[in-house]
Amino acid sequence: MKKKWLAGLGITTMLMGSLLAGCSGSDEANSEGSGGSEGEKVQITLAGWGGNPSEQKLLKQTIADFEEKFPNIDVKHEVISEQYMDVLKTRLIGGEGPDVFYLDALEAPALIETGVVEPLDEYVTDDFDVEDFEKPMLEAFKVDGKTYGFPKDYSTLALFYNKKMFEEAGVEVPKTWDELREVSKALTKDGVYGFGVAPELARLYHIARASGGDVVKDGKANFASPEIVEALKPIVDQHLEDKTSAQASEVGANWGGEMFGQQKAAMVIEGNWAIPFLEDTFPDVEYGTAELPAVNGEKGTMAYAVGYVMNAASEKKEASWKLISYLTGKEGMETWTSKGFALPTRKSVAEKLGYDKDPLRGALVAGAPYATVWQEGANLPIIMNNFNNQFIAAFLGDRPLDDALKEAQKQANSEIQ
Amino acid sequence: MNKRSSKKKLKDAGQGYLFMSPTLFVLALFIIGPILYAIFLSFNKVQLLGETSFEFVAFENFARIMEDNRALIALKNTAKYVLIVVPCQTILALILAATLNAGLKGEKFFRIVYFLPTLTSSAVLTLIFMWMYNKEGLINNLLEMIGLPGYNFLGDPDIALNAIMLMNIWATAPFFMVIYLAALQDIPDSLYEAAELDGANALQKFFYVTVPFLRPVTSFVVIMGLIGTFQLFDQSYIFSGGSGGPNNSTLTVVLLIYQYAFKSLGTMGYAAALAFALAIIILIATLIQRKFSKEESLY
Repeated sequence: MKKKWLAGLGITTMLMGSLLAGCSGSDEANSEGSGGSEGEKVQITLAGWGGNPSEQKLLKQTIADFEEKFPNIDVKHEVISEQYMDVLKTRLIGGEGPDVFYLDALEAPALIETGVVEPLDEYVTDDFDVEDFEKPMLEAFKVDGKTYGFPKDYSTLALFYNKKMFEEAGVEVPKTWDELREVSKALTKDGVYGFGVAPELARLYHIARASGGDVVKDGKANFASPEIVEALKPIVDQHLEDKTSAQASEVGANWGGEMFGQQKAAMVIEGNWAIPFLEDTFPDVEYGTAELPAVNGEKGTMAYAVGYVMNAASEKKEASWKLISYLTGKEGMETWTSKGFALPTRKSVAEKLGYDKDPLRGALVAGAPYATVWQEGANLPIIMNNFNNQFIAAFLGDRPLDDALKEAQKQANSEIQ
Repeated sequence: MNKRSSKKKLKDAGQGYLFMSPTLFVLALFIIGPILYAIFLSFNKVQLLGETSFEFVAFENFARIMEDNRALIALKNTAKYVLIVVPCQTILALILAATLNAGLKGEKFFRIVYFLPTLTSSAVLTLIFMWMYNKEGLINNLLEMIGLPGYNFLGDPDIALNAIMLMNIWATAPFFMVIYLAALQDIPDSLYEAAELDGANALQKFFYVTVPFLRPVTSFVVIMGLIGTFQLFDQSYIFSGGSGGPNNSTLTVVLLIYQYAFKSLGTMGYAAALAFALAIIILIATLIQRKFSKEESLY
């Protein structure tokens, strides 16, 4: 009897032991390289989403340059390929967050509010030259006067037009939205739509604001106001009445760039990301870019910025700052943006690389001074989600626009608490 | 003597628990613990990111469900989905199983072919179906060939959920078919022989012998179907890219829970309340089903 007891105990301890050993193993691996004192090799993690292979190669190059310059810092680059924000938030909650990570301007206010992002003001030195950044992009990462991140790159929107189709139809590139509607009529034929439109708030925000309405007011959704409904009406009308515009899924494409590449739309509004895509996937399409058509006589476009931020819980803040300051510094940014996959947020780098004179990227750079940065407080993601969900119903003609937006606004505001 | 034996019993029990302790430990850590934690969360306003805070709000999270329009839409979509998918997949499974059990040629081959969809990962399946559902995809081309109008399966709010239903019936019916098939082997031939002597035709044999005999299995299949369909997530997630769109038409309860738990900050407590409510709904649906099927009274 006694023997059995012992055997039972033995097996249990063994099992428990192996369980515990399994847990402690990972702890050991994590504590390696912490501390960060002089002479010791420090490992910091950098997390971001993936990009196309050539873009990844450029980032690797930039990181390799950095490691050469700071031999005692080892950068571990992690790619979170899907659901970036969900994964990141979960890791931050679990205390396993990366030291430095990408942050989209849209998500920045909410994340900064929670206090998981380190303010960077006290790290900044004169050499870093903060004044050199394009102001709107820098503002996107500021809350209450403190800077929490530095923009690594940005893109604005431009009008992509198919040169051949424009020639055949004998029309000029539109300068205003009214012109765009007229031109679309001439371009729509044989299953080709004049204008490929993305019925999403991220792409329509500047239009919604053009007639003076506020999409977000005091942190709450306000997009059902008459000014905004009025401003968005032409987008819906063009789709339902003129039948000269279509969203990507209506022609079997996944997004505007693909729709344009498949030559199912003569014009689309896209950003810098579409240029390498079209080059790789649809090299035969002859196209040009132009600044977005003006709404009510005023030029407008959107700007999407992404920045590097530091985890407030990081144990290697000095090394992390060195990495951020290199990546967003003049040297690192020049390498990173040298191939034009991303546009530099530093004026000096932009000047040096000369994208304002680039035939395709010129229109994107020209939009930067008057662009609206895609960001509006902590609640914009909720507001955007509800807008997108209901706007599509109006866009497809299932219900009147003002009704749809009113309901979406009500829903958004009930979710904001 | 008595004292000794009770001591021995205690010793035996202790030994038994000791042997079970690894399992109990795992069970407590990964199943019972999380359930209790979820219940705890559902009564709190939770902020996990940054400064973790729990604020006890009693039933506020549950009251919020009543006012949340999207929760009602999600529930309506899920209910519609359950009401259509469960009967369809059960009947289809039964028919498939009956045909495979009829002693036709090439039975084994068809068993494998029918079962294949179940072996495919649902994510892969969804991606393949999305490809076929594409505006320029296979299904629309087929429809066009026979002169019918095509649909924008992915982008049209009226159709998107139906497209998912169709896909899911096709994918899950074979799994239940296998269960039916196993049960069909159990029906004694003597019952059919007796029915034949009484002059029953094939259809009558099916409805008066096969179907009643399979009732307990049907009950199991329906309950599993109910639970599975109420928890629809991956297909609608992939279909809508996580948004539940277009126009909330593919928003299901679990997708909504996911959105509140991981997409928006500070609504983890509300998400837990929704999950709790869903568990209760499934429980009620299962109880109702059991009441109707009366499985015990059969034999």
